[in-house]
Amino acid sequence: MMLTSTYRIIKFAFQNFWRNIWLSIITVSMLVLTLLTVNILLVVNRVTDQTIAFVENRIEVSVYFNEKTEQVKINDALTYFRTLPEVKDVQEISADEAFAIFKTRHANDADILNSLEELGKNPFGPTLIIKAHQAKDFDAIITALDHPRFRDDIRQRNFSDYQSIVSKIRKTTSEIRTGGMILSGIFFLIALLIIFNTVRVAIFIHREEIGIMRLVGASSNFIRAPFLVETIILSVFSILIVIAIMYPALALIEPKFSQYFGPGTTGLVSYFEQNGLLIFGTQFLALLIVTMGSTALAMRKHLKV
Amino acid sequence: MYLSNPVTFYMIHFKNVSKFYPPDIVGLDAVNLRIEHGEFVSIVGQSGTGKSTLAKLLFAEERPSKGVVEIGGWDITKIRASDVPLLRRQIGVVFQDFKLLPKKTVYENIAFALQVAGIPSVRVREVVPRVLSIVGLDDKAHRFPQQLSGGEQQRVAIGRALVHQPKILVADEPTGNLDTLNSRDILELLKKINEFGTTVVLVTHDREIVNRLKRRVITLEGGKIVSDVEEGRYRL
Ligand SMILES: Nc1ncnc2c1ncn2[C@@H]1O[C@H](COP(=O)(O)OP(=O)(O)OP(=O)(O)O)[C@@H](O)[C@H]1O
Ligand SMILES: [Mg+2]
Repeated sequence: MMLTSTYRIIKFAFQNFWRNIWLSIITVSMLVLTLLTVNILLVVNRVTDQTIAFVENRIEVSVYFNEKTEQVKINDALTYFRTLPEVKDVQEISADEAFAIFKTRHANDADILNSLEELGKNPFGPTLIIKAHQAKDFDAIITALDHPRFRDDIRQRNFSDYQSIVSKIRKTTSEIRTGGMILSGIFFLIALLIIFNTVRVAIFIHREEIGIMRLVGASSNFIRAPFLVETIILSVFSILIVIAIMYPALALIEPKFSQYFGPGTTGLVSYFEQNGLLIFGTQFLALLIVTMGSTALAMRKHLKV
Repeated sequence: MYLSNPVTFYMIHFKNVSKFYPPDIVGLDAVNLRIEHGEFVSIVGQSGTGKSTLAKLLFAEERPSKGVVEIGGWDITKIRASDVPLLRRQIGVVFQDFKLLPKKTVYENIAFALQVAGIPSVRVREVVPRVLSIVGLDDKAHRFPQQLSGGEQQRVAIGRALVHQPKILVADEPTGNLDTLNSRDILELLKKINEFGTTVVLVTHDREIVNRLKRRVITLEGGKIVSDVEEGRYRL
């Protein structure tokens, strides 16, 4: 009898779904729109992360040491910066290498080469190129450079430009994140209202039917259960449609980002492929909780059986 | 007849039943009523005299404000909400507006009353065709209600009321929306059902029907029973 009833409840839920196909289509559309905005936000987040990583990867502080600085001190600085947790990588360019690089870069500039000749010696000192993990790590690195241990040996360090880039990125990043979070919250609230209202409308439309079911001896559970099952069906349809939209859309926009960041850097498609189960599974669960919750709430409020 | 064998239960027993609707509308006023197994009782009276209220008390759509209502010995005065479905599976109800599920076919409408009670599908497939043939709708089983005439829709509703072989059939103005010919058909159907042993309570305005029936007639006025005659005629 349990099995028979379960089967019937599922059958009635599907019947409701098909025989009120317009209401079903409207509800699914709304759920799909909500889910799509969530996914767009996810893409924006991902692209932002990639952009920041892209820029951060290219930010470095070049520390130019005085000509005469002894190798011991350079090695000391090298070791020290490598131990800093903020530092991702330190690269040393010796005075000779710097000289060589300079010469090749200006190989076609006779004037410069001539003046170097006149000078008769290598005017360059050793250079350290320091890369940080994140933009905000540069503060610590710059402070470290002011340490008396190195200060006097350092001729020049070009970080001033970076500092403004860093703070700009930091500002933009936090603005995007805050905006995204507010937007998510708004969309979530809208979704809740839509679902609650949809079920309310559904109950309103079915009010007479529900009264009839009661008259012929249907128990409360038998009346309520198909609504909940129908909610599950609507949610499944919605997530499937969203998945069917997302992958082709991602494949379409991915090349546009690759133009900026180099091929394959955003990895949108592969990101969604690798984490698809997690991303859409989580969304489906959240959707179920929200839709079932508002269905239950709407039934409690409007379905007195 | 009313005072017959006191150890058996009355099919329907109202003891001093009153029903007040807020704020102070009187639906029924201290009604005493006994209906025995197998009777066919017509309830008549002018509009707003409490006929539907009486009917609703029978299937626990309303609870009495005062007094006691017993159905087949079961005191349903304060019936729990969770027991109402059990009561309704033993009482068939029919209304003026048919109350069919518009998104279900004739067959499904009738089957539904069995399905909600957890009756196995095998049994459903047995009962529904039998009921369809009793109400004469075998050939229209797969139509939706709006594809039927009023008389046919009412026959579906009666068929649905019959699936559990109910002890009582309550019909509140079942012919109110039908023309004379269809009304007569429905009445014949109700008589047939009564002959099979079901107690029928028929609420009606229809003078012709009451006069044709020549059965017990109870007249309500202002929520009170003002006449109760064994072989009554419509006298309003
Ligand atoms: N739910 C309700 N709330 C308030 N008053 C009600 C309600 N139902 C019925 N009444 C009132 O109770 C009285 C009896 O109503 P009832 O429906 O029993 O009359 P009736 O005899 O069936 O009338 P009709 O022949 O028009 O169907 C009327 O005055 C009606 O207005
Ligand atoms: Mg009435």
